[in-house]
Parts: sequence; C-alpha cells; structure tokens
Amino acid sequence: MSESQALVPAPAWRRGSAAPPLLLAGSILLYVGVAFWTGQTKMLETDGVIGLLERMVALGIVALGQTFAIIAGSIDLSVANMISVAAVLASFIMHGRADMMLAAVLVVLAVSALVGVVNGAIISRLKVNPFIATLGVGLILQGLLSASFTDFAGSVPREFQAVAYGSFGVVPYSVAALFVLAALASFVLWATRFGAHLYAVGGNAEGARLAGIRTDLVTTGAHVVCSLSAGVTGLYLASRLRSGAPWIGRDGVYDLESIAVVVIGGTLLAGGRGGVWGTLAGVLLFASLDAAFNMMGVSAYPKLVLRGAIVIAAVAVYTVRTRGHVA
Amino acid sequence: MEQAALALEMLNITKTFPGVQALDDVSFGCARGEVHALCGENGAGKSTLIKILGGVYQPDSGTIRLDGREVAFSHPIAARRAGISIIHQELSLLPNRSVAENIFLGIEPTRFGLLDRRTMREEARRLLKRLGSSVAPETLAGDLSIAHQQIVEIAKALAVDARILVMDEPTAALDRVDASRLLDLARKLSTEDVSIVFISHRMPEIQTVADRVTVLKDGRTVMTAPLAEAPTSRLVRAMVGRDLTDFYPPRSSQPPGAVALTVRHAGNKRLHGISFEVRAGEIVGVAGLEGSGKNAVARALIGDAPFESGGMEIGGRAVKSRNPRAAIQAGLGRLSDDRKREGLLMQQSVRDNAMLIERAFAPPLGSPTAGPMSPEATDKRLIQLDVRATSFDQEVQFLSGGNQQRVIIARWLARNPEILIFCEPTRGVDVAAKAEIYKIMRETANRGRAILMVSSDLPEIVGVSDRILVMREGALAGELSGGAAEEDVMALAVAQDRESQAMAS
Repeated sequence: MSESQALVPAPAWRRGSAAPPLLLAGSILLYVGVAFWTGQTKMLETDGVIGLLERMVALGIVALGQTFAIIAGSIDLSVANMISVAAVLASFIMHGRADMMLAAVLVVLAVSALVGVVNGAIISRLKVNPFIATLGVGLILQGLLSASFTDFAGSVPREFQAVAYGSFGVVPYSVAALFVLAALASFVLWATRFGAHLYAVGGNAEGARLAGIRTDLVTTGAHVVCSLSAGVTGLYLASRLRSGAPWIGRDGVYDLESIAVVVIGGTLLAGGRGGVWGTLAGVLLFASLDAAFNMMGVSAYPKLVLRGAIVIAAVAVYTVRTRGHVA
Repeated sequence: MEQAALALEMLNITKTFPGVQALDDVSFGCARGEVHALCGENGAGKSTLIKILGGVYQPDSGTIRLDGREVAFSHPIAARRAGISIIHQELSLLPNRSVAENIFLGIEPTRFGLLDRRTMREEARRLLKRLGSSVAPETLAGDLSIAHQQIVEIAKALAVDARILVMDEPTAALDRVDASRLLDLARKLSTEDVSIVFISHRMPEIQTVADRVTVLKDGRTVMTAPLAEAPTSRLVRAMVGRDLTDFYPPRSSQPPGAVALTVRHAGNKRLHGISFEVRAGEIVGVAGLEGSGKNAVARALIGDAPFESGGMEIGGRAVKSRNPRAAIQAGLGRLSDDRKREGLLMQQSVRDNAMLIERAFAPPLGSPTAGPMSPEATDKRLIQLDVRATSFDQEVQFLSGGNQQRVIIARWLARNPEILIFCEPTRGVDVAAKAEIYKIMRETANRGRAILMVSSDLPEIVGVSDRILVMREGALAGELSGGAAEEDVMALAVAQDRESQAMAS
C-alpha cells in the first residue's frame, strides 16, 4: 500500500469509469468510418446525425430507468411489456382527441408508477428475486394487454405526434428530451440523497440496512423510476407510430436491450457502480451499429451477432480491468 | 503409546505469512487410536496447523510423517488420499442432495460407467450404522439437524477410509445432549484405531474426551501433556498467559458519567433476562464463547434481531430498537463483526464508505455531499483516523483490514452516537493497527460516549474494558471489573466447575 494520500477529491465524473469516452469514440469512429467507406457522406450532415440521435430515443429513455434499477442491485424485465401497455393505453384514451392528451399522459404515468411500486414491493417485501418478480409482472401485464387488445387501439391526435416529429429548429423534441432526462437522471444519481442511497443499497444491501437506510423504499424508488421511464418510452412510441399496439415493446426487445446497454456502459450488473452517461454511450453504440448496417445494406441478422459479441466483450473487459486493479 | 511409529507426526513446522509468523517450530503428534486435543486462543495458529495438515498450505519448513513415512501434500486431495479427513466448523454438506449422495460426493461408486445408487445407499447405511446413526441414506442432508449433519460429515470421512480425523470445534453448534453424544462417538472411533485431532476451547469437553492435550499460543507449542497432567486450570493458564506491555491505552482516571444505556429483563429467541447498564465515558466489554449470545445482544440493541421482551432506555428515555434505522435514531451505533458482508460497500470509494451513515439520515431533498457529508469534512475525519489509502477515491476493497475498520469508525464518528457498539473491533487487523483502534475507542469514551465492546479476543476484553459482562447460553453469566484475570472470564464463560462435573458423570 502506498503511503501517499491524495487529499484532493476527484471530480464527480471520475467516480464512474473510463467507459463513456471510449464508447463514444468507438461509436463515432464506426459511424463516420462506415459513412466514408460506403460513400454516403451525406449521412455526416445534419439530417444524418439527427437521424442517428433519433434512433437513440426509445431505447435511451428506457435504459436510463434500467440504469437506476441495476445500480440499486435490482433489474427490471417488465419494461418491454410496460412500454406496450403505456403506448396502447395512451392511444386508446386519446382516441384521436387532443383534449384527452393530458388525461392520457397522466393515466399512463400513474399506471407506470404503480407497476414500479408493485415490482419494488414484490422484491423488497416478499423477497422475490428481482429477475423472477419483474418477469412475472411483465407476463401479467402482457397477458392483460393481449386479452384486451389484439391490434392497434385508438390513435393519437396530430398534436401529440409533435412529441416524436416536432423540433426546436433542427433538434427534435424527442432528442432534446432524451438528453434533458439523462441530465436529470445524472443529477439525481450524483447530487441527491436518493442517488447516494441507490449506490449504497446496490453496493451492499445488508450494510446499507444496518447503516439505517430504508432499503425497501430505495429499491421501490428505483423501480418506480424504471417503470416511469418505460411509460415515457411508451408515450414516445405511441406518438411516433401514431397509435399503440400490444406488441411494440416486445418487438423492440427493450427489456434485454436496455439491460445490455446499461452493462456495456460500465454499470455493474451486481449493482453499486455505474452511471447514466455510460448507458447513453452504450445506446449510441447500438444506434451507430444500426445505422452502419443500414448504410451497408446488410440484413439485420449479422447485427444481432455483433451486438451479442459487444455485450460479452464489454463485460469481459470490465471484469479483467477490475481484477487487475490492485493497489 | 510411543512403542510404534505415531500415526501422525508433524515436526518443527514453520509457516510465515506476509508480516505474520503464523507457526514457529511447532511439533504435534497423534498415536493410533488417540484423541489429541488441540487448543489455543483465536490466532494462536490452530487453523494454520490444520490447513498444513490438510494440504491447503505448504509449510515453509518442517516435516510431516504418517506411520513413520515422510509425506508432503501439495493439494488437499493429496491429504485426503493419504487418509486425512478434516471436519470443519462450517459443515460442507450439500443441503439439497441426499445423505448417501453427500457421503460419496466425488467418490461415487459406478457400475458399467453408471452411478451405482444401490451400492451407495447400502454403503452409506453401513457407515451410518457403524456411527450408531439410523438416518436413512435417502434423506436430504438439509432436512437433518446439525447434530445429524455432523454425523454424516464423519461418515463422509470414513467413506474415504480416513485414519486421521480432525474435528474443528465440532460441538460449537450443538446442545449439551448432542455434544456429549458426539464426544462418545469420537471415543468410539478412537477404539477403532482412528486417530482424532480434536480442536476445542471448551474445557469440560477436553477433559472428557482427550488422551493428550497440546496448547498453541502465538504460533508456538507451549505445552503437550497427557490429560492427567493437564487440569483445566493449567490449560487455561497456558492458553492465555502472556505479557501485556503498553498495548492497551490507559483507563480513564475520571469516574464514569451518567447512565447512557439501560437494558432491563430483555430477551428474544436467543436471549433471556438481559439486564445491564453502560455509562457515558465507559468501555464495557462483552465476552462469551461462540454461540453464547454475545453477538445477539449487539444485534438486539441495534434492532437487527430486536428484543421482544423487557425494556431499554437511552439517557433515561425509553426507546425501542424495532429496526436498525430506529436504533440509530435513538442514539445507538454498531460496527459489525463482519465488515465485508455487513459493513463495507467494497467496490465504492473510501470516501463514499465513510459517508454512509450520514447519508442514511440526510434530509430527503438535501445534497449527499453537503455539510457533514462534504468531501472536505469526510477527508478531515479520515485523516484524523489516519486511514491509509492511495487516495480516498480508492475502492475500499483494496485497503488492509485495519484501514477498512478505520473507515467504518470514521463513518460512525460522523454520526457520533451516544452509544457505540464495537463487535470484534480488531478481527483481521494486524497488531499495530489493533493498538490504534483501542486508542480511538478510549478517546471516544473520554469524549463522553458510552462504548460496548463485544469480543472473542480475551486479552482485548481484559485489557481494554472498564467492566466486563460475560455471556453464557443466552444469558448474562456474571460481571467482572476491568483487568480481571483472563482465567476468571473464561471460567464464567465455560461454567468450568458445574459443567465439568455434569459432563463427567
């Protein structure tokens, strides 16, 4: 052990890991490289870049919430089904009427929060493994939804489509919203008591409990955030698709992909360490990958292979780095 | 007993770990059919010696002979093949596998390449019968009581035809009836020419079961004698006798202050009739054997396994520790005996770890880095406690045990509770850091805090405490003043007189 003591606190961003900058660089390199290679340099102009960022929105928002769940040492497999529920509920309640927009949004957020509370309560009160608890809740949601709706239900009014299609100048509302939400999430994680408690519970739940932290409330809070983010993603997809269908969450594989990008972003699957900027960088990598394959005109299946390889490689790299990190 | 070659001889064994001489020229032997008790305090070197015998560690120097032939075990499997079986304190049965499957784990008999379940069952039944047990081989191990699991462990040892059986505190988790049954079994096996190394610090047991006794202290053999020459009093003296230099901080010259904590007739599943007081400025030691309930008292006070009856007062106010949060709010704090599991956030920074308690009680909307939780205030505390790390951003898992303990102390000093409970404050901490931790405890008491120190380390109990409470079987067995003889504490903890008579009869 070294005798020296660094008494200068490192800046907060350093407490995460080196993952975000590396992933960012890798994504940009991939995107720019493929654009040049295929000669589609117009993809590097504003429209192309905006398109890339728009690819990030749906997965990005739900992954922000998933980051909270995973940092707290939990996980949420019900997000994909929650997204479907939110989208269908929104478009069903609105039924094309602008005056129902507010009501629909409020109902969706309330239902999402409730699902989060249920997830959290099952995990922290009944002590059911989070994997099983949220898998079960997800199946229940999907079952209820599929029993009630078999196809696109209702539609969203043109005013609501602005969520997905409107923009401030060149920046779409949705992209702006993603980054605002990410900044907000980052603020909550680093600068609030709730954030500190999430890291404590994820780092050592028993230690946190014995230190006087109400770990059940913290876990539940993380799941409420996670379900709310799924609800917001559902609203965004309803707006983008102009209507909600009971399969859009599943088709997007938002449950597994959100977990994948969180882990790629350097958050420990066991909890206690990580952050949203890494997650966002992971989302960007996936989006760049999609865009690159589109530019190359290759079928989507090799993309899956590559995604899988990236997830495994990322976790392997983190594991080796952590093990090698001996002071 | 010396006519033939001994079944087991360990000669001049020396083993050094970084910074610690664990064993220094230790010799130990066991004749065929002998029960040889091995005793010594925590850290005396018993477990290192056993691990060398079991092939887990290799000695730096020295030789091991079995029946006169020199052997060297490079791996635990080599030791097992040579006929050495070790039954650890924590049983290793697979709870969801049957008794027969457990007994033949790794040595499953096969027929035509397939598992021969019938032979397994029959052999298991035969082995268990030899041990006087009627447990069915089909039973799941997890469904058995601890006592029966222990017998299955012994059967497992016999299945590999063990000639040397090491039992590491086998009765620690057993009640008196099961314990004496196990002792009978050990004697019976010894008549079948099995050599038994019996590790225990329960004096009455040793008196009942052993032929010879060896005492280790600070990595050296301090005595080896036939039982007849080793009455309990001599054993205890051999175990604890040591020089106490200025290792422990001087006790306060001031009389203690007002009563900080009162516990009256309190009890729960593990404890009954607990009544005591701790005054401000006092360090009260809580001693007792493993399972005596001394840790249960700490857990009850901090609300982890709360008292279900009786009352508790802090500073004269009646309080209830329903859960850890309520207990801490009432003015209590506890440093766990298991830093890794219950204390530290291993992969988080030293600083984050030091802020944990303050963060737990921060106002809901406040910043977790403001006021007493600011990095500056936290760093100041860590520097005061002389925490050594490459930086306070370093993950706490990379710190030494002593430094980790200081980080936890820093965490509690930030909260500065009225009553601070230290559980095994120096477990896994080197000698120099131990003295530092005692000093911090004494300074904290001198600042008017009340301290309860739960410890299995007798010298520490006697050297640091102002008063000593001794626990036995879930109740207070008695109280001694600070500086009492370790023998007296031990005597209260093991109920030397009455129990030895009861067991001998």
